[in-house]
Amino acid sequence: MTATATTVTQTPKLGNSYSYSHCMYNSPIWVLKLNKTSTSTGTSLVTKASSGNTGKGNKRTKGKKTEIIPESTSLPPQQQQPVSLSLDDVNPVGLGRKSRQIFDEVWRKFSGLGQISRTTRADDKESLDALLIREGPMCEFAIPGAQSTTVLVVGATSRIGRILVRKLMLRGYSVKALVRKADQEVVDMLPRSVEIIIGDVGDPSTVKAAVENCNKIIYCATARSAITGDLYRVDYQGVYNLTKAFQDYNHKLAQLRAGKSSKSKLLLAKFKSEDSLNGWEVRQGTYFQDVVAFKYDAGMDAKFEFTETGNAVFSGYVFTRGGYVELSKKLSLPLGCTLDRYEGLVLSVGGNGRSYVLILEAGPSADTTQSKLYFARFSTKVGFCRVRVPFSSFRPVKPDDPPLDPFLVHTMTIRFEPRRQRPVEGPSGMKQDLRSFKLILEYIKALPTGQETDFVLVSCTGLGVEPSRREQVLKAKRAGEDSLRRSGLGYTIIRPGPLQEEPGGQRALIFDQGNRITQGISCADVADICVKALHDPTARNKSFDVCYEYVAEQGRELYELVAHLPDKANNYLTPALSILEKNT
Amino acid sequence: MAWRLPTQLPTPGKFHHHNDDHVTTSPNNAALSWRLSLSPPLPLLSSSNSKGKFCTQQVVRFKCSASAGGTTGTQSLNMGPGTPIRPTSILVVGSTGTLGRQIVRRALDEGYDVRCLVRPRPAPADFLRDWGATVVNADLSKPETIPATLVGVHTVIDCATGRPEEPIKTVDWEGKVALIQCAKAMGIQKYVFYSIHNCDKHPEVPLMEIKYCTEKFLQDSGLNHIVIRLCGFMQGLIGQYAVPILEEKSVWGTDAPTRIAYMDTQDIARLTFIALRNEKINGKRLTFAGPRAWTTQEVITLCERLAGQDANVTTVPVSVLRITRQLTRLFQWTSDVADRLAFSEVLTSDIVFSVPMAETYNLLGVEPKDIATLEKYLQDYFTNILKKLKDLKAQSKQADFYI
Repeated sequence: MTATATTVTQTPKLGNSYSYSHCMYNSPIWVLKLNKTSTSTGTSLVTKASSGNTGKGNKRTKGKKTEIIPESTSLPPQQQQPVSLSLDDVNPVGLGRKSRQIFDEVWRKFSGLGQISRTTRADDKESLDALLIREGPMCEFAIPGAQSTTVLVVGATSRIGRILVRKLMLRGYSVKALVRKADQEVVDMLPRSVEIIIGDVGDPSTVKAAVENCNKIIYCATARSAITGDLYRVDYQGVYNLTKAFQDYNHKLAQLRAGKSSKSKLLLAKFKSEDSLNGWEVRQGTYFQDVVAFKYDAGMDAKFEFTETGNAVFSGYVFTRGGYVELSKKLSLPLGCTLDRYEGLVLSVGGNGRSYVLILEAGPSADTTQSKLYFARFSTKVGFCRVRVPFSSFRPVKPDDPPLDPFLVHTMTIRFEPRRQRPVEGPSGMKQDLRSFKLILEYIKALPTGQETDFVLVSCTGLGVEPSRREQVLKAKRAGEDSLRRSGLGYTIIRPGPLQEEPGGQRALIFDQGNRITQGISCADVADICVKALHDPTARNKSFDVCYEYVAEQGRELYELVAHLPDKANNYLTPALSILEKNT
Repeated sequence: MAWRLPTQLPTPGKFHHHNDDHVTTSPNNAALSWRLSLSPPLPLLSSSNSKGKFCTQQVVRFKCSASAGGTTGTQSLNMGPGTPIRPTSILVVGSTGTLGRQIVRRALDEGYDVRCLVRPRPAPADFLRDWGATVVNADLSKPETIPATLVGVHTVIDCATGRPEEPIKTVDWEGKVALIQCAKAMGIQKYVFYSIHNCDKHPEVPLMEIKYCTEKFLQDSGLNHIVIRLCGFMQGLIGQYAVPILEEKSVWGTDAPTRIAYMDTQDIARLTFIALRNEKINGKRLTFAGPRAWTTQEVITLCERLAGQDANVTTVPVSVLRITRQLTRLFQWTSDVADRLAFSEVLTSDIVFSVPMAETYNLLGVEPKDIATLEKYLQDYFTNILKKLKDLKAQSKQADFYI
């Protein structure tokens, strides 16, 4: 009893801002119990809480204290009676109070018997629903792990963002919101336990503060004007700044633990100078040797050189039937790094849009005769692009070989062959010889592995944007998507159809890749997908379009609807996304 | 404008004829039926000699306020010019209650903008704000505080009931009448009201009587509405049986043969929103019941089995409850208690508080397997709580615990 009292008296000192903290959510009762055991435990707990959250954490600290108040009042009367006799026990006032408590308790139970729609007493309720209704595992919204996850929502005041923040709060996440200015209107719009950070996505310094202590980022900000500068600042530069700040923060954390961030990429090759070309070897060969082919052979040639403009260019031609040229290097990984901690390669390349075969040689590096070859085809675009090639897409050259083990990879080869080349789209009449190629290499990096997505980006399909602006908007959005893809963070890019302001969960959704969707989607559904994607391994490193299912007008149905609505405990996201391509 | 109501109140007689052609004729009936069945007269009524007149006055009051607010036509009030109201804006009355908070959560999760009408109190309902709802202070027992809360609201969901310690009539009848009239006057487009199953069959129980009269009043008001009748909440059983059993305290039960089909409030909330969006259900009365009806004894046995310990059950015969009710009715100061105990009248009959749900599921397009059963619900509770207790014991090495 005394210990409880101590806790209560401490409370008012800690400020009058009320907010709940998530780390304490599911165990306020136990805290109290500890307090009850001894005064010192209670006090130490409080100080721990306050010292743990300095600076911005202030708000949360206050929350912890206020949490205790209702609990202390909600102690069932019997529990408060000390077991041993003390002077207090024979105090007539105390005795009277005690007897009244007991009588109240009995009477309450008695009168409760006659009820059908029972209302639990207010104090019962407080302690109960902390466990059951609000945060406990019995709540249909509860997500395991949510309480230890802090999510930064960028664009928390947008149509999607507002719903998203509420959904995250309901599920017990700690939420930070990056807003441009915190005027009353904005503050009223957001739940009160959300930590508001004022800043602009275009400004790297404020973004840096925002990502601190965050585990995940959801980006649903969008430019509010059609001005090109604004579009680029929010849709491209903003994403870039956020990914960069988040990676920097991950590095900083890793350095504190004297290691390397598990979310950072590994540089395999960077072509920035003359010297960087050393070790790369140009070779040529043919798949088959036949007389006819030999007769008409016009030859092939390739070179890898560093131009005056500062580019490393691999170029040449292959006219021989069945011929190929390739560029190869033995990899030298930094000490302590092995490729099995990475899930793929990202190449930053430019050129004239041919496709290439990436070949990895794997086996014990001491004995190259035992090496096995694995290949994956990748295509490039005219101009610069980043290509992600996951290790899972490599297949053995000999079908009998086991799947690729990235740990054993020792040599990398980029091969050009004239087979299966597609002409690039360009001005008609332009003659393309598909047998010649030019590949400008910028860097090759390995992408880190991970289970979950780190960054959810809400982009757009371009539907619903007026045609005059569409190209401009899409360009900025695509640039933002690209900067996220090459950041090395686990990403999920959601491209919803035109947004509608209506309740979510009412209609079936279509998940697709390839810009084929035609329908709109409710903001609440997009927010729901964002939340579900946070902990869904199938959502990692995927881009997809999403919209409502097309519903034909009455009597004009073309096909039967075989879909169901998203429902309670129905995780529609995993099955929908598992069939979609990764690294898109 | 609307919140300056009381000052603009004209004399009732002046407007009396004016509204007879519109809404008020039928509310009169509802009120009358109410008066006939209810023995003690309402305190508010003492000024006017007929109950019907009382209701009429109320309607006049709000009508006139709305016309003062700018609409020239007194008849149709939701056609007034101004900002269009977003269909996603809802007001939840009784949002701190067992059901209310689930409604709020569900609504927020589905993307509604939720406003909660909450009584001003020293310890504010912070959890609502933490979830992202807007809290507005008003008190149903003070009608002048209501109109301001309805501005810009599309749908009202009313799951309020008076607290056990206060007289039933203040909130449940007078408050509700004021709220419905106000909603009508301010052009609320949909009104969802939660009632009690079988409330029309038990006029002797004040709360059920009130709920039934409110249903009728709502029907007659001409508001676009849905009435949802409920049987019992699973959440209530936790405090009633599960916790005392775990605490090894005595559990009080009756030997009543009444069966109640308890339902998870989360399911109720979910079904409510499906019904709300279904235009075909407008003006209908739905009954939500759980998958199976249980007697008190069965629930206690189930709890004992799941908790793995025997309960210390104190069975109170229903007859004792009835006698207590009769006794408490004798005195003015215990009449509230008597009202509370009135359910004992219902308990004596071996009535079943349940209803076949197949048709409702069909109407709403819900799978019966998605509705939580009591076994599953209590099992989840006990698994979680026992795990917590085990963790806690390991942590604090203390033998006595409570929840």
